[in-house]
Amino acid sequence: MDPLVYVLDLIVFIGIFGIVSLSLNLEFGFAGLANFGKVAFFLIGAYTYALLSQAGVPFYLCLIAGAVTTAIAGFLVSLPTLKLREDYLAIVVLTFGEILRLIIKSEHWIAGGIWGITISPAISVVGVSARVSTLINIGLVYLCLFICFMVVQSLANSPYGRVIRAIREDEVAAEALGKDRAKYRAQVFALGSAIAGVAGGLYAQYIQFIDPYMFMPMLTFTVWIMVLLGGPANNWGALLGAGLVELFDRGTNMAKDYLTLPIDPSNLQYIIFGVLIILVLFYRPQGLLKESRVKTKALELVRHGRNSVKNKRS
Amino acid sequence: MEETVLRISEVSKHFGGVYAVSGVSLDMKGRSIWGLVGPNGSGKTTLFNTVLGFHRPDGGAIYFNDNCISKLAPHQIYALGLVSAFQIPRPFQRLSVLDNMLVAARGHQGDRLLDSLFLRRSWQKREVELADKAMEILELLELDRLASSPAGELSGGQRKLLEIGKGLMASPTLLLLDEPAAGVNPNLGRRIFEKIKELHQNKGLSFFIIEHRLEILFDFAHWVYVMDKGKIVVQGKPEEIAKNPVFYQVYLGER
Repeated sequence: MDPLVYVLDLIVFIGIFGIVSLSLNLEFGFAGLANFGKVAFFLIGAYTYALLSQAGVPFYLCLIAGAVTTAIAGFLVSLPTLKLREDYLAIVVLTFGEILRLIIKSEHWIAGGIWGITISPAISVVGVSARVSTLINIGLVYLCLFICFMVVQSLANSPYGRVIRAIREDEVAAEALGKDRAKYRAQVFALGSAIAGVAGGLYAQYIQFIDPYMFMPMLTFTVWIMVLLGGPANNWGALLGAGLVELFDRGTNMAKDYLTLPIDPSNLQYIIFGVLIILVLFYRPQGLLKESRVKTKALELVRHGRNSVKNKRS
Repeated sequence: MEETVLRISEVSKHFGGVYAVSGVSLDMKGRSIWGLVGPNGSGKTTLFNTVLGFHRPDGGAIYFNDNCISKLAPHQIYALGLVSAFQIPRPFQRLSVLDNMLVAARGHQGDRLLDSLFLRRSWQKREVELADKAMEILELLELDRLASSPAGELSGGQRKLLEIGKGLMASPTLLLLDEPAAGVNPNLGRRIFEKIKELHQNKGLSFFIIEHRLEILFDFAHWVYVMDKGKIVVQGKPEEIAKNPVFYQVYLGER
């Protein structure tokens, strides 16, 4: 394989998983919702894209439809689970993801079952090299990443972001301060799912083929590592985590060709992931980057207010 | 005729076979500072939590400014202007003191998902006003220097003050305080009550306060209810209550 294409491919993957990481960061980092079924929403986005694209719908509409379908699915899943405590919510969405995957796998009429489904590329230019077509994909993915980042980042720096952080800290106290926690949780779940759906669509169109085995629960945990490593409640951290985990993934994949090990190298990768997550949680539970503050004009006021007080005194 | 702020009519709440509150009726008119005293386990906090919507009453009804609130969720009751401060402070630990205050604001436009995304300019104005108000309250409570520190770093007494500050941030009509002077030094306890009196006089706020520190409460409350075994046994002006034999019997255990 052309090494440059390999690097470009890595960049595409970082972009796609950066989007998923942002969506989990919104749900877990900011709102404290332990979504262990992230892969389910990624899958819904990917399959919605694939099926619509087969039907001849233009790619941007496929992406939007994927986001909408996933948002609805996220909202529906949230309804029975939002009254549950955090850990039970995690169990419910985890099983939801597996059930959904098994349905897609065994019901061939939906999307080809285990034989998968082939997708034509979003933007195909006749006669261009692999390098150029990957570059086009980078453009598309990073445009979507930019939009998602702007959405999540402006939420984080708004009173809304403050409210969902408060719900994360103590949902009873937030309820006592007039915040309808069920409403906020449902909204966050729907929005987070929509973002994961966009990533799923991008993934499908980039790989050009999807089957149920691409949506194993491990994918959810990979995204969790990205968020925990990068720093929950920090969107830059989520992106950093996505970058590092993807690099690590590729790095170990390459290294295994040069090393002879007594065990299966791909299992070793899981082991290292596990150790990594334990180390992060033990020694740096806040992740590499600290939680970002709620940056609104209120913050400026405090700073300026203090300065003006100092000025008066001097 | 003064308007009724809070009317509790024949309210009962039981947990299993225990009647925490049984058939309590209160009629609180006008603007005032009401006190609620009684031995531990007499149902004071349960009564508060029932009024605030955390418990649904098993019988009876509660009216706030003539709206029936006994079937509303806590956040809806809050939106009407009936606000509380927890007995044990529950700050949002990783948020700054200022953010803790701002969360408590009522009806902030930026709290809504789409508005917060697309109407940034419009809510930023309100945000500045609210921050200004928050700083004013924090200055009053002498927490202004800590505005940008995480609330989790505050001491016990400061958390208590922050809890009251959050209550004030909502501009309530009636603020329910559960032992505001407990666990703080005597001087600070009295100062908290002086602030309460000030707010009552200057801003027309009403307070309904549970407090065991009678020497403070009786100096500031205008009307005191005494609860025992889930019932209101006596009520009256503090100086009358102080002489009442029933009050002595149930609360101080003398004579």
